Amino acid sequence: MTTRKSIRALFSLLLIAGAGAVVRAQDKPVRQPAPHAIQILKIESSEIKLPPAFQMAIYERALEEVKKTGIFAEIYRDGDGRAAGAADHVILHTDVRGFTKGSARERQVITVAGKTSIKVHMQVVNQDGKVLLEKDIEGKVRFLGENMRATFDLAKKIAHTLKDNFQKPAPATKS
Amino acid sequence: MLTTNCPSSLSTPPILWRYRPGKLRRAMARRLACLAIAGAFCLTTCSAALGQTATKPAAPNHARSVLGFEDLKNNENCAVEVTAGAIRLKGEKATVEVATSSINDVLTGDDSARLVGGFLGTLTMFAPYSSGRFLSLFRKKLDTLTIEYRDVQGGIHGGILAMKPGLAATLKKQLVDAGAHTSVPIEDPAKPAATPSGGAASSKNSEKKS
Repeated sequence: MTTRKSIRALFSLLLIAGAGAVVRAQDKPVRQPAPHAIQILKIESSEIKLPPAFQMAIYERALEEVKKTGIFAEIYRDGDGRAAGAADHVILHTDVRGFTKGSARERQVITVAGKTSIKVHMQVVNQDGKVLLEKDIEGKVRFLGENMRATFDLAKKIAHTLKDNFQKPAPATKS
Repeated sequence: MLTTNCPSSLSTPPILWRYRPGKLRRAMARRLACLAIAGAFCLTTCSAALGQTATKPAAPNHARSVLGFEDLKNNENCAVEVTAGAIRLKGEKATVEVATSSINDVLTGDDSARLVGGFLGTLTMFAPYSSGRFLSLFRKKLDTLTIEYRDVQGGIHGGILAMKPGLAATLKKQLVDAGAHTSVPIEDPAKPAATPSGGAASSKNSEKKS
């Protein structure tokens, strides 16, 4: 009797896990072919007062992480004159929507307290101004690391979102 | 005849030491040694922290390049030199020179870091009796200086320098005096800014931003 019960419980658990996987697979967006270049603009923080060091760290780390993905052939910085001449390029705008400065000391001593989080709204637009991708992202450091680590987490998530939505173009075949 | 293994109450040693006395003694000794090490470490770190706040260097000759300066590794210690028209950061292998005319903004900030950081700081996570967590209580204050500058193509770069408390404002003043722009006006420091020491450093790997 107990064996039958445990088998039934195991079966239902497997069903739930399978359903979760299916839902997750359906959530994944359809990847569109990546443009040749991307221009990453400086992080805007008009409403929320973000420390300048954090602002610059997000920008610099986003550049590094997007470069690591290898999706875009060219990556331009904000203000780069070459971006205007690039034929097929998109622009990444990032606006800070929330910032909670935690405490590294609390995190390291108490573990469950002192979380630092940065919420941003990212938007990828093409040259015509059409929005290709829009998403809210949160970068956080919850357990280990200094506050600045939240910027690293955020940059990684920005790069990951781009990777999920844009497909690296297939290399041209030799004829 | 009925026999018993229990010794009489008078000859019985205390219950702590009756079973495996050697193991218990060793454990006690280990615990005492750990406490002594932790105590000694606390004394040294406290004295270091107090000494740091008591003595304030006049000019920021050294800083830690947190990120954003090409050719310098993240978190690399570098020598800082402000000349008439540029700031020069000399790392272990490379030197970065940023012209002050290309600096759009210089902003100061504050941060803190673990007193025992780096590889040793990571090792303390595995220290016994949560002494690693205890050491996390001791932190040092830092000043940050965010420098926003443009490269030859006009692209914006953001470099972050971390230094001892009170030095960021001095360095910012030096940069603004040398021609850098800032969106936040400088507050008058209590002490007059001192000129940084060190002559003109030259390096093969120097990179000039204009």
